[in-house]
Amino acid sequence: MTEVAEESSTGATDAGRTAAARSHLPGDPSMWFFVIGDLVIFGVYFVVYMYYRGQDHDAFLQSQAQLNLTIGTLNTVVLLTSSLFVALGTAAARGGRTADATRLFGLALVCGAVFPLLKLVEYIPKVIAGVTPGTNLFFMYYYVMTGLHLCHVLLGLVILCFVIRNLRGPAMPRISFVETGATYWHMVDILWLVLFALLYLMR
Amino acid sequence: MDVTTYVRNPLTYVWALLTAVTVTSWLIARDGGAAHHLNATVTVTVLLIAAVKTQLVIWHFMEVRQAPTWLKVTTTGWLIALFALLLGFYFGAA
Repeated sequence: MTEVAEESSTGATDAGRTAAARSHLPGDPSMWFFVIGDLVIFGVYFVVYMYYRGQDHDAFLQSQAQLNLTIGTLNTVVLLTSSLFVALGTAAARGGRTADATRLFGLALVCGAVFPLLKLVEYIPKVIAGVTPGTNLFFMYYYVMTGLHLCHVLLGLVILCFVIRNLRGPAMPRISFVETGATYWHMVDILWLVLFALLYLMR
Repeated sequence: MDVTTYVRNPLTYVWALLTAVTVTSWLIARDGGAAHHLNATVTVTVLLIAAVKTQLVIWHFMEVRQAPTWLKVTTTGWLIALFALLLGFYFGAA
């Protein structure tokens, strides 16, 4: 018990020391290649969106006015909070605090599951009101980019379930697998941060 | 689970900062951008806030801070190129 307590209180300092001593690539290198590839692909979408926006600022601004800024903001906080739980859970798993890690990943899963629900609250009234990808260029980009992102969120939730199963299993959890899942989930978070600024916030 | 340890974790401070700037950019868009007219001040502010948030998540949550140099260079390069292009196209066509 004392060992565990000591470990949890010095965990942060240990991580700092390790970082100073040597660099560490979290998780599977192939996940990082996937993440970088995905960031580049989404980056191209973002830039193309900005190009077309520049061709017709007024139409895009009028369409943006129809979005629900409050739901967009809530979803940003939801994903950031979920990412925090994943980051804390990863550190706990690495420090051998598997029970804590399981709970933290569970909280991340619950938070993450709120995102698609809020997205439905946003999509359904729009579609009922007749606002679809065919409405105009803004809504085409809105549905395609948020739709692709939502697919990433759903896959991320499945990955979080696998991480929890790995943590709850009888064997020692595979830290590399926990880190790989965490890396994917944080990528989903940063893609949303840019989407939120481009679709909801900018003028 | 000792909650205090997690509340005092530096990662939680990063999250508090991320949430605070998210609320700030919400207020900027709600008040400054309420008219839905072209507004470069609002746009530059919210895009820079988004860039800082993205870097904070990459650096601290994704642990790139402790990762090999090639990954630091790649992610930072992606971030700078992306936001430079976004601002470039915003002003280029304005």
